[in-house]
Amino acid sequence: MSNKKKYSMLASTAAVAFILAACGNGDNGDTTDGNGVDDNGASEEEVDDVDGDDNGNDEAASDEPQPIEFETRVENEGEPIDGGTMSIGYVSDSPFTGIFSWELYSGNPDAIVMGYTMGTLIGSDENFQFDDSGAATVDVDQDTNVVTITLQDGVLWHDGEQVTADDIAFTHEIIGHPDYPGVRYSSDMQNIIGMEAYKAGEADSIEGITVVDDLTLEIEYESVGVQMLQAGGGIWSYAAPRHYLEDIPVSELESAPEIRENPIGFGPFKVDNIVPGESVSYSRFEDYYRGTPNIERLELETVPSSTAVAAMENHQFDLFLSMPTDQYENFENIPGYTVLGRGENAYTYIGFKLGEWVTEGDDIDQPQNVPNPDAKMANKNLRQAMAYAMDNDAVGARFYQGLRSRATSPIIPNFADYHADDLEGYPYDPERAMELLDEAGYEDTNGDGWRETPEGEELVINFASMSGGDVAEPISEYYMQSWRNIGLNVQLLDGRLHEFNSFYDRVEADDPNIDIYQGAWGTGTDPTPDGLYSRYAPFNYTRWASEENDAFMEDMLSEEGFDTEWRAEVFRDWQEYFMEELPIIPTLFRNEVFPVNNRVGAYDIGFGVDPDTDGAGIHTWYLIDEDRATE
Amino acid sequence: MWKTIIRRLLLMIPQILILSILIFIIADFMPGDPFTGMIDPNLDPAQLEAQRQAFGLNDPLPVRYVRWVGDALQGDFGRSFNYQQPVVAVIGGRMGNTIRLSLMSIILTYAIGLPLGILAGRYNESVLDKSILVYNFVSFAVPIFVLALLMVWIFGYNLNWFPSRGSVSINANTTWEIWTSRLYHLLLPSITTAILGTTSIIQYLRSEIIDAKVSDYVKTARSKGVPIQKVYTKHIFRNASLPIASGFGFTVVSLFMGSIFIEQIFSYRGMGFLFLQSINTRDYSVIFVLVLFYGFLGLIGTLISDLTLMAVDPRIRID
Repeated sequence: MSNKKKYSMLASTAAVAFILAACGNGDNGDTTDGNGVDDNGASEEEVDDVDGDDNGNDEAASDEPQPIEFETRVENEGEPIDGGTMSIGYVSDSPFTGIFSWELYSGNPDAIVMGYTMGTLIGSDENFQFDDSGAATVDVDQDTNVVTITLQDGVLWHDGEQVTADDIAFTHEIIGHPDYPGVRYSSDMQNIIGMEAYKAGEADSIEGITVVDDLTLEIEYESVGVQMLQAGGGIWSYAAPRHYLEDIPVSELESAPEIRENPIGFGPFKVDNIVPGESVSYSRFEDYYRGTPNIERLELETVPSSTAVAAMENHQFDLFLSMPTDQYENFENIPGYTVLGRGENAYTYIGFKLGEWVTEGDDIDQPQNVPNPDAKMANKNLRQAMAYAMDNDAVGARFYQGLRSRATSPIIPNFADYHADDLEGYPYDPERAMELLDEAGYEDTNGDGWRETPEGEELVINFASMSGGDVAEPISEYYMQSWRNIGLNVQLLDGRLHEFNSFYDRVEADDPNIDIYQGAWGTGTDPTPDGLYSRYAPFNYTRWASEENDAFMEDMLSEEGFDTEWRAEVFRDWQEYFMEELPIIPTLFRNEVFPVNNRVGAYDIGFGVDPDTDGAGIHTWYLIDEDRATE
Repeated sequence: MWKTIIRRLLLMIPQILILSILIFIIADFMPGDPFTGMIDPNLDPAQLEAQRQAFGLNDPLPVRYVRWVGDALQGDFGRSFNYQQPVVAVIGGRMGNTIRLSLMSIILTYAIGLPLGILAGRYNESVLDKSILVYNFVSFAVPIFVLALLMVWIFGYNLNWFPSRGSVSINANTTWEIWTSRLYHLLLPSITTAILGTTSIIQYLRSEIIDAKVSDYVKTARSKGVPIQKVYTKHIFRNASLPIASGFGFTVVSLFMGSIFIEQIFSYRGMGFLFLQSINTRDYSVIFVLVLFYGFLGLIGTLISDLTLMAVDPRIRID
């Protein structure tokens, strides 16, 4: 799917959060029958079994539902049928806008809808690092700063034309064009030699981009870094059909029927029909470079989150994307489906406001985060104590039915080589929390039941949290209660939860009334955390910075980083340092789940799985029955 | 009469202007802007700022307003940030769906409301009348989103009689298929709207008819020997329908507005759905035009009501 490097602010947008599922859940209680693959049915049942077997071991922890371990692959036995139609329910409350262009789209729904048809050039492995599994390979030469993209022969656009190096140059020309209306003209683009001159209209072509031959393209950058080996880490790995789009002025591209109605790509399926904002149908592309897809037709429809479970109970789709995890208990056992899951590239966190974003001043050369040593939350013990006071194991198990688990670092486990799995993080330990506060001098000196600052002043901590979803409110209440239990007076900012836009408006503007806030980041596919935690990152909303952190950031992006083992070590050390300093408390790692109907022969959601494996690449999907399985 | 119409239309200009100023001011209070949710560390904040600048979001309110009015007068209502298309194209793409839904709802509303109202009035105090009244109270009390959800749940998901979302099937290819599929998708939402829209029609019609039954002109007609059926069709119905005619314009307008809920719940991509979407994403340019459009509809609605009243009742003259 999309390889863009994108951190996204996450919000559960449940505009009309009526849940039909709750009503219709009673009728399929115990119909679990050993039919088909059901090995990841429900881990709660396993937990019950363990309880039955355990002999008098009455530790409280054994009652606690454990984080669920999901399968990432399902195979259903049966003869593949010829062709067939597979329907996909994409659960989303915002409809796709219908821009079929990697250069021009901006929302995630469009990326999903495009994924089946437009095609991306370069494959990636389980660490989201570029590998040889795609239509092209990439080679980064750190001495000359030249990146070479080499296309396979025989990759065809849907109209039968060959995908050439010139098409890759063309996608850069669209984004670099002075009239380009989209948002993809980034610092990565400016890093290409001659790009800024082209953007300014001073040059007719981009100096750094050379088409060597039909299949080879060289791009010269001002500087290359190890993060460029990462999908979305700085190399734009798409192509646009020059022969199809070149006559359309760039400023008119996003309204052109060639983009909105009859788009062509080099992916496994061709767009047949589009009902704007509702559904898209695709038919297979016989000349797909990896081989003709097994399935003849795909249909994708957007389903509002409020009716997703009802749609699943009615077996309306073979596959559900973005299934809302807060309704997991309503759909985990629907007969006919196997629920696959995997770690989501995202984490939830509590941020401490520690300074300000300063754009100009006497001793700063560029806009940067300036920490304030006297900030209310500047005491490290206070931050750590708040972390120990929170029982995130319980939050993951109880509020999220085991679909989320306590986070131990700001690097998610999906970045397997970079995530420090030896860190323990901050397990629930209120005793330790109170010790830390006592040690730092936060004590109740006036007997009102709340701790005062070491200077003896009243300490009231204002907590900003977002509305949305059914659990937002109870979780905020739960956290505040936990902090009150260790003697900290934490109040909800303005006494209520805040809507997504106004929340981030105030967090971004360093509203002095916010001391701590709960947010979430989508991490994209590049583990490098400089976009979120460097001194110069505007999205470093805590405004935390330190010289040690600067050194870590520099190392992560340095040339030595091409030695990945060395780089992984830097990441590990940084995580240890970060978790000690704790400018944010990473609270929860998340899982995303994919219900798959049992008539789908094989389906695989593992990261970095060879696309030619059955069930992994879209072209390998197959069905084993004409009708959707209902049990 | 033409003079009246023209005068009323002219009067709308200042009304619309005031409305547009109000919307601008209120919209300015909304936190966030279309770029708030767009977080991408690859994007230099300067780039975002440039985008804001390009869309003129940083200018003071009066400047933005004057520019907007100037463009609007030339038919340019701005661009949707979210859909990356001219607002007119975005709304135009949805309008067909909403008009179809509203038309169907209006037809069904009157198709249900008129006969029920007449029956209840003619046979008042009968079992039939009482059941109609019960229906009327229930439909008056039930909020639209509750009934809509129940309808989707029962007829969409449990009985599978109707599609539970969307406006047309992706598999419809020929014109005939497209239109039948559209009709099929329309039925459930429009029946839902109609069930709830009949309250005032039934109530007015019923009480007017009951009043008329004992009025002098009816007694006269009966004593002349006019058959009862004819009395109802020729005399009573005509008089009793006056308040309904006067409400016609409002009914039409409220159906358009009510479609905001219906479209959201049935995932029916019309203007109402677009309206909520645009508020969530702070797609200002779309919000302005939609609110103005709804305001305009309201004004037109009153005008239509007055005109129908004039047409039905020759005694009424509006100057």
